[in-house]
Parts: sequence; structure tokens; C-alpha cells
Amino acid sequence: MIFVIDDDVSMAECVARACKTDARIFTNAISAMEEIAAGVMPELIFLDILLDGPDGFTFLNELVSYTDTGRIPIVIVSSLNYTKSDLSNYGVVGYLNKDTMLPQEIRQYVEKYTG
Amino acid sequence: MDKEVDGILVAAHELKAPLALLRQLALSLDNIDAPNEHIRSEMVRVSERAIKQVNDLAKIRRLEDGLFEMEPVAVRAVCDEVARELSYLFDYNRRYLFIKYSNRERLVTANRDLLYSVVYNFLLNAMHYSGEQTRSELLVQDYSDKVKISVRDFGPSLPVDVWREMKRGFIEKPTSIAMRPGSSGLGLYIASKFSRYMNANVGAVRHRDGTSFYVELPVSKQASLFI
Repeated sequence: MIFVIDDDVSMAECVARACKTDARIFTNAISAMEEIAAGVMPELIFLDILLDGPDGFTFLNELVSYTDTGRIPIVIVSSLNYTKSDLSNYGVVGYLNKDTMLPQEIRQYVEKYTG
Repeated sequence: MDKEVDGILVAAHELKAPLALLRQLALSLDNIDAPNEHIRSEMVRVSERAIKQVNDLAKIRRLEDGLFEMEPVAVRAVCDEVARELSYLFDYNRRYLFIKYSNRERLVTANRDLLYSVVYNFLLNAMHYSGEQTRSELLVQDYSDKVKISVRDFGPSLPVDVWREMKRGFIEKPTSIAMRPGSSGLGLYIASKFSRYMNANVGAVRHRDGTSFYVELPVSKQASLFI
């Protein structure tokens, strides 16, 4: 199971579609966190940073504070450029820029981090 | 900042997300035949050019914060990369791009991204205003302490008032050019703003059969120690 968290539903659908596997869309960080708390553990999360309500960094902080969720690989999907940032301590394994990303780049992360 | 210009920049910011989405939607189309593949590619390319222009406008707002570092930049490498990116567009519109480097491979002091945008906007402008089957020229020349990048087109000559504004070193705001139908002046405005930030001279030369736009950048003294 893959989580795609983006407040732009259409963009989230594009990412989910490129995954070519079971992916669930969340338009805010709270509903994604509630799902995880209910026991649904994603294998990979594509995360936008600028979200309605708590932003992506708040979500990352929340995830990393628990042992089990701290191990979930996260790919940042944003129109801001984070490629020079190092967020590996937050489980971030990659960055995709919305302006330039390609469906095959999304799939590469799916193939690498899901069973 | 001029209120009208600020409005343009705010509008540009608002356009960024929908343009990125349009590009992704085009890329998401599966199982399409060859003619439709061509349409899909065009949609992606047009979106990418629009995103680039929007990003350039967004950068103008950030110039005041001084966030763009100046560094030694290889002019030829930047020009080659821009030419490569736009070669498809020149071919598609049946225009030719002639490139001549008469400089040694000296480095200049600039910000690479901003310089890329200046050359990109000059070339896009030249492509747009050159007639079908005609050529545009990208020239890089050495002077004692600077390197000059010129882009020459064979379109309508630049009106005197715009030429004067360019001669003054900067363009206050995007202004459409009557003799160049369809122009918004946005590309020149972006190039002018970025050049000014880099302490580069920007200007234009009027020809009877077209216009040359140029930017002159100081040679990097730091890098020259190592050459």
C-alpha cells in the first residue's frame, strides 16, 4: 500500500496513477496520520509539503517520533526545490519536483521500496 | 515595486500549480497512438515553457532578497545547454540557430540559473520574431575584462523608445512592442531584471533587418587565477 498526500487532488491522482499499484490519496496530513494510527502501515509515502492544515514537515516530525512509522520511506513531491536539503533523518529517500517529474521516476521509487 | 508588475508576479505565482498539473495530466495519458503522442508531447513542452516563464517571474520577486549567489560560470556550457533545450522549438518552427563562439573559455561572474534564463529569453524572442526559414545567431565574444553574449534576429527592428530603455540598462515593466505583434515584452523584462541583478550590462542594437540583444558579463577574477 502506498500513500499519496497532496491537497491538490488532481495532482495526487496523477502520482497515484503513475505508481501502477494500490495507492491511497489523502488531501491532508491529519487523515493520513489517522489511517496510520488505525493500523494501516504504508510501504511508501509520496508527500507534498505545502498542505492545508499541518504541513509536510509537521507530518514528518510526527512520523519520525514513533519507532514503527519512523521507518516508512518518504518521497517529497513539491513545487519547491528541496534537492539541496538533507531530510534523510526524517525517512526521506527522495525528492521529486512537480514542475519536472516524470511518471517513470515515480515508478522507480515504487519498484525500489515496495514489495 | 511597481503595483502593476507586482500584480503580474502574483498572477504568475497562481499559474504555477495548474501548469504543473496540466503537464502531469498530459504525461498520465496511456495507450495513445502516434498522432496523439505528438499532441501529448506538444502539451508537455508548451507546459514546460510556461512553467519556466512563471518560475522566472517568481524569481524576480526573490531578487530583492538577494538569494541568488554569484559564482564563476562557464558561458559556453550555459549557451550550449539553452541551445540544446530550444533546438526542438527552432526545428519545429522551421528556424535555424547559428552559434559562434569566438571567445576563450573564460568564466564570468554570474548566477548560473539567472544567466540561463537571460540567454533562454533572448533566444526565444529571436526565434519568435525571425521569419520562417531564416536564422537567429547566438554569438559569444571576448573583451578585455568581460564576455559579451549577443542574440541577433532578422525580424522587425526594435522601436527607438524600447531601444532607449534598453540603453539605459533596464526595463521598468513589461511593455508590448507595436512593431513586434504578439509581444508582451515579458522576456526582455525578465532578461533585463536578471542582468541588472548580476551587475551585467544589457542592451540592444538596432539593425535595418532585425535586432541584436546582448548582455555583457564581467570575467571572473577568482577563476582566472587557476587558468
